[in-house]
Amino acid sequence: MAFSMFLRAPACTSKLFSQQIMRIATQQAMKPVAAERMLSSVLPTQHTILKSNSPPILNAVRSFRTSPALLQEEKAHDHSKLWVIEKLTSAVLVPLIPICLILPNKMFDAALAILVTAHSFWGLEAIAVDYVRSSIFGPFIPKLAIALVYIISIATLGGLFYLISNDVGLSNAIKQLWSVKSKQVA
Amino acid sequence: MPFLRITYGTFGQLRSFATSSALGKRVKSFAVYRWNPDEPDKKPYTQNFEVDLDDCAPMVLDALLKIKNEIDPTLTFRRSCREGVCGSCAMNIDGVNTLACISHIDQNLSKPSKIYPLPHMYVVKDLVPDLSNFYRQYQSIEPWLQRDNEAAKGKETQLLQDVEDRAKLDGLYECVLCACCSTSCPSYWWNGDKYLGPAVLMQAYRWIIDSRDDATGKRLSKLKDTYSVYRCHTIMNCTRTCPKGLNPGRAIAQIKTLLSGMVKKQPPIMDPAGLQKQAASN
Repeated sequence: MAFSMFLRAPACTSKLFSQQIMRIATQQAMKPVAAERMLSSVLPTQHTILKSNSPPILNAVRSFRTSPALLQEEKAHDHSKLWVIEKLTSAVLVPLIPICLILPNKMFDAALAILVTAHSFWGLEAIAVDYVRSSIFGPFIPKLAIALVYIISIATLGGLFYLISNDVGLSNAIKQLWSVKSKQVA
Repeated sequence: MPFLRITYGTFGQLRSFATSSALGKRVKSFAVYRWNPDEPDKKPYTQNFEVDLDDCAPMVLDALLKIKNEIDPTLTFRRSCREGVCGSCAMNIDGVNTLACISHIDQNLSKPSKIYPLPHMYVVKDLVPDLSNFYRQYQSIEPWLQRDNEAAKGKETQLLQDVEDRAKLDGLYECVLCACCSTSCPSYWWNGDKYLGPAVLMQAYRWIIDSRDDATGKRLSKLKDTYSVYRCHTIMNCTRTCPKGLNPGRAIAQIKTLLSGMVKKQPPIMDPAGLQKQAASN
């Protein structure tokens, strides 16, 4: 959890950075218009000439402006490292779960608790991002959904660590669940 | 010659018998999505058209053309090449996104064939979806060859590419941009404004791995945000539906491995600017 937040932190700064760049870029783009306006107030005859010249140039610029679509404010994160960590987590869980069940101890339990929570956090986060999107739910509810995912994940991690430190431990608890069932059958 | 004439007559009779009303006309009904922007108060509806399959060529596009020619000239759809190389007639036929020109009419006469526009797209009219967002996304990946050192005007030479490097483009360049895959992708339905979608990503990959292209780093860095590529959850609807039998899901996975840095683009086997250098040294 903390690790994923840490990974997000630099992304936030880069987001601000890219917004700043966009602002500067748009301001510069605005300047000629302002200049033209000033000219028009001073020299009305020249303005008509400028006006007749400007549309084709503007069109040419517009048709080549492809990058701003990719530089929208939310789009500046670098997700590639996080993707590697997500996939590594999934891969490590495959051997870790049987190991924990075979050799129950606090170290493995703690690792399992962290990885399972991280794995489910990314899953839930993807669901929230995919389905609770601002184009349908407005600006507030998507943020609430993400916050809810964080709260659920923190609560899960806390609960699992409580189980590990104050109770029988994670893998022992899972084993007990199975033993309850076998007793009922017998 | 007389023998030929006899056989012709026989086959003609056989044919007319096989298709005669004695066996019952093979009439297939088509339930086609209709919506007219000139009647904004009228909700979209499906209209049933009946087509005699014996009097119609075998593809769904043929049936649609027959309906348009003979029953309702207001039926609107895109079509051009009628042989699966232009990608114009992409539509949802019996629940599958495909090209109407290369999909056979379902011969089961008991059920109507359902024909809808590509799902989750704005409809311009009837079966015509609005693809402007799709094209804008395609434009955003800059789908053209980019070199660090462009040859001087008038001194352009052919760029060299090894057969093996060329083979990497197979299965990618064949895409006709019909948008069947992108519009079958749930991630594209929900986040089509920010997620590029399988068709566009496959073309992005096509330019990323081209041995002659120098802009690989720039292309990849444009894709590394949370939405452009990583909304792909390997659902693989894209690969399943592709009417050209391509595999956009695999191309997206390749982009992800390239973005992770675990896999690097191989250097070109043959120097693309080989001829250019040769010309300069001569």
